[in-house]
Amino acid sequence: MTPLETIRDSFEGIMPSVIATTDAAGMPNVSYLSHVYYVDSQHVALSNQFFSKTAANVRLHGRATVVVIDGRTSLQHVLDLVFESSSQSGPIFDRVSAQLDVMAGLQGKSHMLKLRAVDIYRVEDCRRIDPVAPLEELPPKPVANRDLLAEAAAATAELSAITDAETLLDRSLEILDERCGFRHSMILIADDEGRKLQTVASRGYPHFGFGAEIAFGDGIIGVAAERRLTLRIADMRRGQRYVSAVALATGLYSADIPLPSIAEPQCQIAVPLMAGGRLSGVIFAESEESFAFSYADEAALEIIARQIAASLAIFELTDAASDVATRGTSAAGAKEAKRAFGFQFFPRDGGIFIDNDYVIRGVPGRLLYHFVRCYADTGRCEFSNREIRRDRAFNLPDFKDNLETRLILLRRRLEERGGPIRIERPDRGQIRLVIEGVPEIRVVEE
Amino acid sequence: MLEEDVAAFISDTVMMIAATRDDAMRAHIGRGCGASFDPEVGDVALLASSTQWPDFTANARSGAPIALTVCRPDNYQSLQIKGQIAGVTLATDDQAERAQRYIDSMLAVMAPLGISRLQLSTVFSNADLVAIRFWPADLFIQTPGPEAGERLRREA
Repeated sequence: MTPLETIRDSFEGIMPSVIATTDAAGMPNVSYLSHVYYVDSQHVALSNQFFSKTAANVRLHGRATVVVIDGRTSLQHVLDLVFESSSQSGPIFDRVSAQLDVMAGLQGKSHMLKLRAVDIYRVEDCRRIDPVAPLEELPPKPVANRDLLAEAAAATAELSAITDAETLLDRSLEILDERCGFRHSMILIADDEGRKLQTVASRGYPHFGFGAEIAFGDGIIGVAAERRLTLRIADMRRGQRYVSAVALATGLYSADIPLPSIAEPQCQIAVPLMAGGRLSGVIFAESEESFAFSYADEAALEIIARQIAASLAIFELTDAASDVATRGTSAAGAKEAKRAFGFQFFPRDGGIFIDNDYVIRGVPGRLLYHFVRCYADTGRCEFSNREIRRDRAFNLPDFKDNLETRLILLRRRLEERGGPIRIERPDRGQIRLVIEGVPEIRVVEE
Repeated sequence: MLEEDVAAFISDTVMMIAATRDDAMRAHIGRGCGASFDPEVGDVALLASSTQWPDFTANARSGAPIALTVCRPDNYQSLQIKGQIAGVTLATDDQAERAQRYIDSMLAVMAPLGISRLQLSTVFSNADLVAIRFWPADLFIQTPGPEAGERLRREA
């Protein structure tokens, strides 16, 4: 039997598989199957939710024959399957269900393909179908040009030595590019208040898109966050014929800050940032090349993502435990204030607009309102992480809300936008507000 | 008999997969390389490589059952035809030419869909071609969706 581990590329769903069964009268039934999922060295899972004849035949004989094809090399294998169990929950069901939901979303059929159950089969035999007369000479089995396990180890070694969140966010995307070939990537942080994710770091895009949002459950990024599952689409052409995943993925404020994107993504991957059982965000990468990311790239990204999540959690803990108070209350920048500008705050969602242009919302929006309100009332422009944590108005009861990451996002968003408000970080745990002008604050209750 | 539109559909640029079965009721899969309906005889001739799909063709014997599913690659519209094999013969020169035309036109249809010749390298094989003739007794919608598996027609 050919080990299933050696044909993992045939389980990528790039080319449809074929499944055949036999009914009670001995009549065969044959149909295409979107995806055969690798479970372990002895098992695969099928999500054959529409083909009732196949299901009936499997119930009768407990057997199926499947042909899988490697989407890169065209090499085919035949699998003799024996039905073992059907499950409507559990990790395999969740993984297959999330994958189907993302693909259905890409095809604009988000409510059509709900997974009812996933069937687990034991693989009795797996045989290579030797090509008799291939149309093209098959490429030799690609030699892994990167030892991704070693690269992931080196990446986590470097990342674990970094001592601040901002360096960590940027350097991690650089390392993913340099070591693993993820050229277009971004990190989004989760905002539980609005069930949104906001872009805090990006690399390999025409613009950074700091503050660009995706709702939980939308697109590959939103589903990865909602289900806390890694998701990968190896070949988007097959599923969606160029419906923009990014357009579908953007949320209510999509027009305000465009999400960083490449013109025609063919391959995408989203990994939740999890540490201590908590989701802090999602790391996302995409490529113009189909099948750019294999299961091995996925594993490497997962390892690195967990290091990023762990470091972010440690920084928040360290920051929360530190006792650095506000250094001073000097009104730096206030003297130069001349031009008035509109500053609108929407308490409902923490939304901030400057001169009627959307800036940010959620916790970063509430933070900015607090700073600007204090500045307007007292002339104060220096703040500390510590006092923010103690202020219950922000709903930040403890370290768990990624305050530091949100401050990074806020600073970057203001910087990318370019005036009249900026945030500086003079020292660890310190925040300085720099305002060029006079804010005319208006609180808009809805 | 097949209606004209069905007959036209199976002889068009559609992907084709087929299955036979052995005495132990184990199904064997093969890929077709062109098919046609003969209105005078009323049967379907499926062309397939006997050496690329040896188990499939070994079980394609006269009197044995066969299932053929054809699928339009741009919209997944699919039909499954089931029947009893009337005979298996080596492909004639005409049929070999037909298979070659089928391969050429399928490659042309698949290219704009982003599927390369290399990716299809072992999908279309016309080596040691045989023609499997069978009487179409049953016809089913196979397009993915709620109607998949629905019987369109059954021959008495």
